[in-house]
Amino acid sequence: MTVAAATSLHSRRKVRNSAMMTLCVVAAGIGLAWLALILGALVWKGLAGVNLAVFTEMTPPPGDAGGLLNAIYGSVVMTVIAVAVGTPVGVMAGTYMAEYGRFSKLTTVVRFINDILLSAPSIIIGLFVYELVVRPMGHFSALAGAVALAILVIPVVVRTTEDMLNLVPNTLREAGTAIGAPRWIVIRSVAYRAALSGIVTGILLSIARISGETAPLLFTALNNQFWSSNLNAPMASLPVTIFQFALSPYEEWQQLAWTGALIITLTVLGLSIFARSLTGRREDR
Amino acid sequence: MKPMLSTELDVAAEPAAETAKIEVRHLNFHYGQSKALKDISLSLPARSVTAFIGPSGCGKSTLLRCFNRIYELYPRQSADGEILLDGRNILDRSQDLNLLRTRIGMVFQKPTPFPMSIYENIAFGVRLYEKLPKSEMDGRVEHALKRAALWTEVKDKLDASGLSLSGGQQQRLCIARTVAVKPEVILLDEPASALDPLSTAKIEELIDELKDDYTIVIVTHNMQQAARVSSKTAFMYLGELIEFDKTEKIFTSPREKRTQDYITGRFG
Repeated sequence: MTVAAATSLHSRRKVRNSAMMTLCVVAAGIGLAWLALILGALVWKGLAGVNLAVFTEMTPPPGDAGGLLNAIYGSVVMTVIAVAVGTPVGVMAGTYMAEYGRFSKLTTVVRFINDILLSAPSIIIGLFVYELVVRPMGHFSALAGAVALAILVIPVVVRTTEDMLNLVPNTLREAGTAIGAPRWIVIRSVAYRAALSGIVTGILLSIARISGETAPLLFTALNNQFWSSNLNAPMASLPVTIFQFALSPYEEWQQLAWTGALIITLTVLGLSIFARSLTGRREDR
Repeated sequence: MKPMLSTELDVAAEPAAETAKIEVRHLNFHYGQSKALKDISLSLPARSVTAFIGPSGCGKSTLLRCFNRIYELYPRQSADGEILLDGRNILDRSQDLNLLRTRIGMVFQKPTPFPMSIYENIAFGVRLYEKLPKSEMDGRVEHALKRAALWTEVKDKLDASGLSLSGGQQQRLCIARTVAVKPEVILLDEPASALDPLSTAKIEELIDELKDDYTIVIVTHNMQQAARVSSKTAFMYLGELIEFDKTEKIFTSPREKRTQDYITGRFG
């Protein structure tokens, strides 16, 4: 090839490269712009309503000032129960799949079903729990809400636990075994320890996922305008309250909906950053 | 009881004083349908170093992994035949695998420190079968680290993560961890192949020191290393034991042409 031909090839490639790069940057910019707009509106409108009353007063009747205390409390209670129930089940199932049943058919089947559950629309989970818990009990309850959220937690935790344990090199398991440790000790003291930050990250992400769920709570915990700590009765939650207030014609309610949305977003953001920092530290090592 | 010597391979030249620690008789090994070891018989003398050499895939690591039955972690891997440890067949169904593995320790190709402190890396294995007061455990950890020639480098940072050490140090930590549970046999699966020359030299020195107290079996693809550290060498090829003799003999006047070809670098 002559020098001239090489130069022209080079410049053609340069042009093509910068054209492609421009397109990619524009595409990324379009995606980010919407996100920035949404977050901007949320912060702008949400912050306007942030005051002490939000955290100390109950949801008000239409036309009155009030807060979100009962909704925040309800969300925290149901999330804690859901995680307390879903995490052990998820971690144990993931442990079976990655450790004891690594080569079994059952694992393949469970993984397939779990992946379906992972992407199942949450409203279906809500309806399922409605049939399973609400109908037999005869009324909506916080407990039913927690069950629905737990069912959403499980597949996330199963998946991350299995993935993280699979990342633990087999040589480490062999090393534990070669020193005379029984299998359960190798899992507990070696595999779990090596995968710990990843498993915790999965649990945090599952909390982030359920803290914004509305649909499964509509059919289970319903809502409550008043303070209630009774697990056997309907309970307020942030997402359902936001849903109700945002659709209402009352200005105070709409303002509280914006503020509630901001609270959820910041909580999820905080959890994600925390989860990120955990995984980050793992990769540093 | 003194186990019989397998006659075909240990030719008469063997001094009678040597006692066999491990005796392999007609061992076959399968990965699913494919046969990885074919009718292996040999006996490994106590308190000395035996090396397994051969090209990749010849079965030397597979043979090593039979001695502590670590292959049982995986499905579809099976061994038949006999491996006698002090005269008792360890392939027997009734053999307690965890106890077997406290008697036969293993160090792997890649350093495998546990994700815990240097101290805990060593105490972990000891604690499995012995309840020791703190002071005794401290002594045991120190002793193991000294045996692995690591003590002076880590004595001031026993609480640091085992993963914070360099590759060579990690490998010596793994040797210390193995020594700490007081095994009788130490299996080394290419222990220096992931290390730099200086660390390799340290590991080899270590092997030389340990051989007075332990029966050591080392798999290596480095022939110079086999020549340096071992007193007997087994050459394997395509799942078969081609020749097993004194290291000197293997490297100077092998009986088999294939051994000759391999050690002179004509293949492999």
